[in-house]
Amino acid sequence: MKKFLMAAGLLAGATVSAFAGDVSGKLVLYTSQPNKDAQATVDAFTAKHPGVEVEWVRDGTTKMMAKLRAEFEAGSPKPDVLLIADMVTMEGLKKEGRLMAHDGADISAYDPALMDAEKTYFSTKLITSGIVYNTNAPMKPSSYKDLLKAEAKDKLAMPSPLTSGAATIHMAALTSNPDLGWAYYEGLADQGANPKGGNGGTYKAIAGGEKLYGFVVDFLPIREKLKGAPVEFVFPEEGVSAVTEPVAILSTAQNPDAAKAFVDFLLSEDGQKLASSQGYLPAHPAVAAPEGFPARDQIKLMDFDPAKALEQDTANKMKFSEIFGG
Amino acid sequence: MAQAFHHKVWNGERLSLAILVVCATLLCGLPLLLLFKIGLTHEGAFALGPLTDALASRSVQRALWHSMESSFLSALAATVLGTVLALIIGLTDVRAKGLLVFLILLPMMIPPHVTAIAWIQALGPASPLLRWIGLAPELGSTHPLYSREGLVLLLTLQHSPLVFLLVRAALRSFPRELSDAARISGAGTFRLLTRITLPLLGPALLASFALGFVAALGNFGINALIGIPARYTTLPVLIWRRLASFGPDVLPNVAVISVILAAVALVALLIQSFLQRRMRSSLIGLPQDPLAISLKRKRIWVELTLWTFVALVLLLPAVSLLATSLVTTYGLPLSAETLTLENFIEVLWRQSVTLRAFANSTLVAAVAATLIAAMSILLGYFLSHRHQRVRGASIFASSQAEIAFAVPGLVMSIAFILALIRPLPVLNVSLYGTLWIILIAYISVFLAVGLKPVAAAFLQMDRSLEDAAKVSGAGFARRVVKVFAPLTAPSAASGAILVFLTAYNEVTVSALLWSTGNETIGTTIFNYEDGGYTTLAAAMSVVVVLATIFVMLAMNSLANRVPAGTIPWKD
Repeated sequence: MKKFLMAAGLLAGATVSAFAGDVSGKLVLYTSQPNKDAQATVDAFTAKHPGVEVEWVRDGTTKMMAKLRAEFEAGSPKPDVLLIADMVTMEGLKKEGRLMAHDGADISAYDPALMDAEKTYFSTKLITSGIVYNTNAPMKPSSYKDLLKAEAKDKLAMPSPLTSGAATIHMAALTSNPDLGWAYYEGLADQGANPKGGNGGTYKAIAGGEKLYGFVVDFLPIREKLKGAPVEFVFPEEGVSAVTEPVAILSTAQNPDAAKAFVDFLLSEDGQKLASSQGYLPAHPAVAAPEGFPARDQIKLMDFDPAKALEQDTANKMKFSEIFGG
Repeated sequence: MAQAFHHKVWNGERLSLAILVVCATLLCGLPLLLLFKIGLTHEGAFALGPLTDALASRSVQRALWHSMESSFLSALAATVLGTVLALIIGLTDVRAKGLLVFLILLPMMIPPHVTAIAWIQALGPASPLLRWIGLAPELGSTHPLYSREGLVLLLTLQHSPLVFLLVRAALRSFPRELSDAARISGAGTFRLLTRITLPLLGPALLASFALGFVAALGNFGINALIGIPARYTTLPVLIWRRLASFGPDVLPNVAVISVILAAVALVALLIQSFLQRRMRSSLIGLPQDPLAISLKRKRIWVELTLWTFVALVLLLPAVSLLATSLVTTYGLPLSAETLTLENFIEVLWRQSVTLRAFANSTLVAAVAATLIAAMSILLGYFLSHRHQRVRGASIFASSQAEIAFAVPGLVMSIAFILALIRPLPVLNVSLYGTLWIILIAYISVFLAVGLKPVAAAFLQMDRSLEDAAKVSGAGFARRVVKVFAPLTAPSAASGAILVFLTAYNEVTVSALLWSTGNETIGTTIFNYEDGGYTTLAAAMSVVVVLATIFVMLAMNSLANRVPAGTIPWKD
C-alpha cells in the first residue's frame, strides 16, 4: 500500500511535505543502472528524504552520454546527478569541467584507488566482467583462452563496447594484457562472436540457450542463478575487469543540495547495504558481499589505468569496429 | 453559384478551411520539407554532396540494399498469403467467417516489437512450447529467426492482414454478374479465378504490394529485434543506432539517410499510382454479396488448414509470450515450481517507469485520437464539397497527411527533431524532450488513419441535407455541429479508435522522441528487452495485447452505426 501511495504521489507529481531543514525539490538522475535497481535506489533515497522528488532516466552508458551531449549542445543539461557505469567516462566529463566537486563527502573508509582525488566522482560498487556459460553446455570454461577452443565455435555472445561501458573497460583490460592482447579479440571474431548489443542481450542469449558462452557483467547471471536460471558466472584465472558505477554531480545541477544528499546516501553504509542487497559487490570494504559472490579477497582484478583507457578509447573502438565490422 | 462563393469575405467556412490547410501543412508537410532541405543542402546552397557521400558509405549501401530486399520479399510473400486467405474467406462457404476474419486481422493490431519478442521466444532453444513437445532447437544453435529469411517471415506475417483487408474489400465490390456469367458458360472454379477474378483484382494486388513494401520499409520493431542479432542492418536501424550512439551531432548525416529512406518509400508509391492508372478497369453494377462457392467434401480440409494456420500464427507466439511472462527467470522451463506473477506485479505495481509509460501512452494516444477526429470531420466535409476550389484546397491538406503516413515513422520523428529542437519562435519554449513533441508527431503521422473512415462517410451522404439546413437559415458552424458531426460521429469514433490503437502500440515514432518522464509503452518494452529483462518485457507485452483486444471488442459495438468497411473485421 505504501508503495502504491508513493507511486501515486509520483504520478500525480505531488510532493510530500518535507521535514524542516531537509533537502527538497526536484532531482533529476540519469543512470545506467537496470530499471529495477534504479527504482529501488530512488525509493530508498526518497524514504530518507521525502521532500525530494526524483525523476530518473535509464539507458546504456553510451546512449545516456549521447543524450547528455545533446543537452550540453542545446545548453540545457537536464540531470543533477549522473550514476553511470565507469570512471573513464567520468574522467572525460571532469576534464571538460562538467562536474561539481563535493568536498563534504566522507570517503575515509574507501580504497583511494576507487575515488577521484578532487572529489568530483565517487565509485559506489564493483561490477566485474568475466565469463558466463549456460550450465547445459559441454565445456566449463576457466580461462579466457577456453573461449577460443573448438567447442565454443559459433556459440559465443558478448556485449559491444560501442554500446556498453563495462564492455569498453573489459576490452581495454583484456587488450592491454600481454598474454591476450588484440590477437585474442581477433580470435573471438574467428570464433564467430557477434558483439552487437549490451549486456542484457548477451545474458538473454546465454540464459535462453541461443549461445552457450560469453562475457557479461557478474550480477546478471549471479542474481538470476539464485532464481534457478541455467547459467554460471566464472571469475577467470587471468582476473576480471571492473566498472565501479561512479556517481557525480553536474556543475550545472539545478538542485545541488539534493544532489549532494543523494551522493552521501549512496556512500553511506545504508546505501552500500542497499547495493549489496540488490546483488552487487559494495565498494565499502566493511559491507558484506551479497549471496552468490565469492569472498572479496578471492576476486582478482586485472590491471587497469582509467587515464590511459580514456586516451586510447577512440583508437580501441575503431580497432574493434575493424575486427568485427561496425 | 461559384460567384456567390467568391464575393463572400472571410466567413466561418473559409476561415475553417484556411486554418485546416495551414495546420496540415505545419504538421505534415513542413517538417518533411525541412528534413529534405537539411539533407539536400550544404552551407545553405542546394547540393547533392551530402547525399552522394552518404550513398558512397559501405554501411549505408548495405543497409539500403537490405531494406529494399527485405521489403520487396516480404511484400511479395504478404501479397500472396493475404490474397489466398481473402479468396478462401471471400469466395467459398467456409464456416465461422466472422471469427476467422477477426483472428486473421489480430496480428496487424499487435505492435511489431511485441510480435518479434513473442516469435523469438516461440522458436528459440528456450521455447517453452517446443520444449514441451521436444522440438526445440539444439542448445547453442543459432536462432532460426536471426536471418534474412526470419526477418522476411515476420514482416510477412505482420503485413499480410493489410493485404487481406484490401483484397477482401475489392472482392466485395465486384458485381456478381461477371462470375455468374462465367459459371453459366461452364467455367470451373480454377478458370473463373484465373480469367475473371485475379485480373480484376490487379489494382488491389498492386496497392497491397506497395502498402506492404512501404510498411516493411518503415518497420522498426521487427527490423531492430531480429535484424540486429542477425547482422542484417536495415536503414531504420542504421538511423536509430547512429542517433542513439552519437546524439544530435550526427543529425545532418542522419537527415541524409532519412531522405534516402523517404525517397525509396515515395518512389514506390509513385510507381504504384502510375501503374494503377494504367490498369484501371471500371465495373458496371452494384456491389453484392460475393460468391460462396461450395467446397463440398473439401470444405473440412480447407477449414482445417485455415484454423491450423491461424493457430500457428496466433497461439504459438501468444502462448510463448505468456509462458515467458510467468516464469521466475528467463531460460527456465515453465512448471508448477517456476510459475510466478512476480513479473506482472513488477510492471503493474512497482516500476514507476511502466506506470508512467502506460499513463503517457494512454494520454497522448487519446488526445491525438480526439483531435484527429475533430479535424477529420471538418476536413471530410470540405473534401466532399460542391466547389472545385474548396475540394482542391482540402485535397492539398489531405495529401500531405497521406505522405506523412506513408513516410517511415522514424523519418518523421527525425523531421520533428529538426523542426522542434530549437525553441519555438514567439513562445520561446523548446518542445524537444517533452511529451508534446510525441503528441504532435502522432497527429501528423496518424491523421490519414483517422480521416479515411470519415471521408468515406461524407461521400455517402446526400448533399441535399446541407441545402435543407441552409434554406432553414443554419450558418456553417451550426450546420457542422447540428447536422454533419452527429451523422459522421460513429465513423469519426471508429477512426479515432484506430488512431488510438496505432498510437498506443507504436514504437517507431517515439523511439527517438522519448525522454526522461516521457516514455511510451513501446519504448519501455523495447528497453526492457534490450536490457536483458525479457520476463518483464513479456509481462508488459501481455498487458498491451490484452488491452488491444479489449479496445477492438469495444469497437465492435459501433459496428451497426458506421459505413461498411470502417471497422476492418466487420462487413
